Amino acid sequence: MKPIGLEKSNRMSDAKAQLQSPGKSAEAMKDKVVIRDLNFFYGPSIALKEVSLPLHEGKVTAFIGPSGCGKSTLLRVLNRMYDLYPNQRAEGEVLLDGENILAPDLDVNLLRARVGMVFQKPTPFPMSVYDNIAFGMRLYEKLSKSEMDERVESALRRSALWGEVKDKLSANGLSLSGGQQQRLCIARTVAISPEVILLDEPCSALDPISTAKVEELIDELSSDYTIAIVTHNMQQAARVSQFTAFMYLGEMVEFDETSKVFTSPRDKRTQDYITGRFG
Amino acid sequence: MVDHTVKSYDKDLETLERHIAEMGGIAEKMVVDAMDALSSADVTLAQQVVATDPRLDALQREIEEEAVLTIARRQPMAVDLREIIGAIRVAGDLERVGDLAKNIARRSVKIGLEARVPRAIIGLKHMNDVATELMKDVLDAYAQRDVELARAVWERDAELDALEDSVFRDLLTHMMEDPRNISFCAHLLFCSKNIERIGDHATNIAETVFYLVTGSNLPAERPKGRHTYDADTTGTSTP
Repeated sequence: MKPIGLEKSNRMSDAKAQLQSPGKSAEAMKDKVVIRDLNFFYGPSIALKEVSLPLHEGKVTAFIGPSGCGKSTLLRVLNRMYDLYPNQRAEGEVLLDGENILAPDLDVNLLRARVGMVFQKPTPFPMSVYDNIAFGMRLYEKLSKSEMDERVESALRRSALWGEVKDKLSANGLSLSGGQQQRLCIARTVAISPEVILLDEPCSALDPISTAKVEELIDELSSDYTIAIVTHNMQQAARVSQFTAFMYLGEMVEFDETSKVFTSPRDKRTQDYITGRFG
Repeated sequence: MVDHTVKSYDKDLETLERHIAEMGGIAEKMVVDAMDALSSADVTLAQQVVATDPRLDALQREIEEEAVLTIARRQPMAVDLREIIGAIRVAGDLERVGDLAKNIARRSVKIGLEARVPRAIIGLKHMNDVATELMKDVLDAYAQRDVELARAVWERDAELDALEDSVFRDLLTHMMEDPRNISFCAHLLFCSKNIERIGDHATNIAETVFYLVTGSNLPAERPKGRHTYDADTTGTSTP
């Protein structure tokens, strides 16, 4: 594990200490993203308070917490989505491979190529299935037709969608079912080979079977990508993630291995939330 | 603890707990009655103990069903999950305690009036008193989620193991004194083993209480009360 600025933040080192305690597995883990003392403001109101935690490389980290606790906000910071809005600002550090992505001189477009995002509602572009995938790639790379075909197929395969759409690549993306659309969006994200994938309640608009397919997909993708997922479905967090962060009122209350958080959380607020006792 | 947002969830958990309490009461009484039946050669009481066992079995099945349903319906997490897993485990232990008490009762019917050396039973009674106390304490620990009390039971089981050793030596002496004692004493040997097992189940429950409250486990090794007496008793193998 990289000792990035451990000395600077107690909370960070707390989180690390817990992670190291289970033993060797934690030892081998690398931090892809390190969030340190992050504050976030919507105008004058503060939405994230001194949030610190790592996202381990090749692992799925789930963010849970009641509405308005700041989990989506946190995700939006990770690829500077908030930049699109005036009056929103972040303080602190978010290190992607050691580089602070909050730095003002950072190329946001390049960042978003490295940190892809999938939203709550499927958002396919109003174009063909093929172009939905190819669109992003064309922005970053010049590829021949055959290379492009290959990459589109591989992205669709990785997203477990190929079998269902291979005969209708020219059909409009919007004509697919909700679950297919969401997997198309994931394929679109995967196509440009990001390093980190952010999923903001990717299954909340899907039926159980589509949800299961997306979860299976997350499972498969997690070996190659670092994934952060926001979900309101606690069982989903328990199923798909290796680490879970519980947030409440803009604070990071508890961050630990998922197996620990859902069987014996340390903080009473976490316990009350995950057992359905929240006030 | 704060109530669940869904009230019927609390009711589910309460029902489970109530049924465990009922099982605990029945099992405890069976242990006491079985020993009374043995020491006073009371066949009617012994038969009563045997007749109570099906009720305990039925309760265990009920608890398991309720637990499974609750898991399916509520997807319990954290303390609730531990609570439900704990209930399943404790119900299993209590059911076994009932079986062991039933075995003692059955044996006391078999022994009947053949009881030859009444003083041989004194050691057993003592063992049973300790086992009963452990049962009572561990059930209190469960009801009150009292980790300290649970740990005390867990540690005290060593006492019972030590007693079993001394009962064993005592019974062996009686058997060597007069071979006509052998059949009677062999029965008592089995009874002492049963009582020792009851202590083990009390220990299991103590471990469950500890897990249920803290989320972690007691150490795998618990203090041992058994000495090496077995080896020096004329080379006879341990019961």
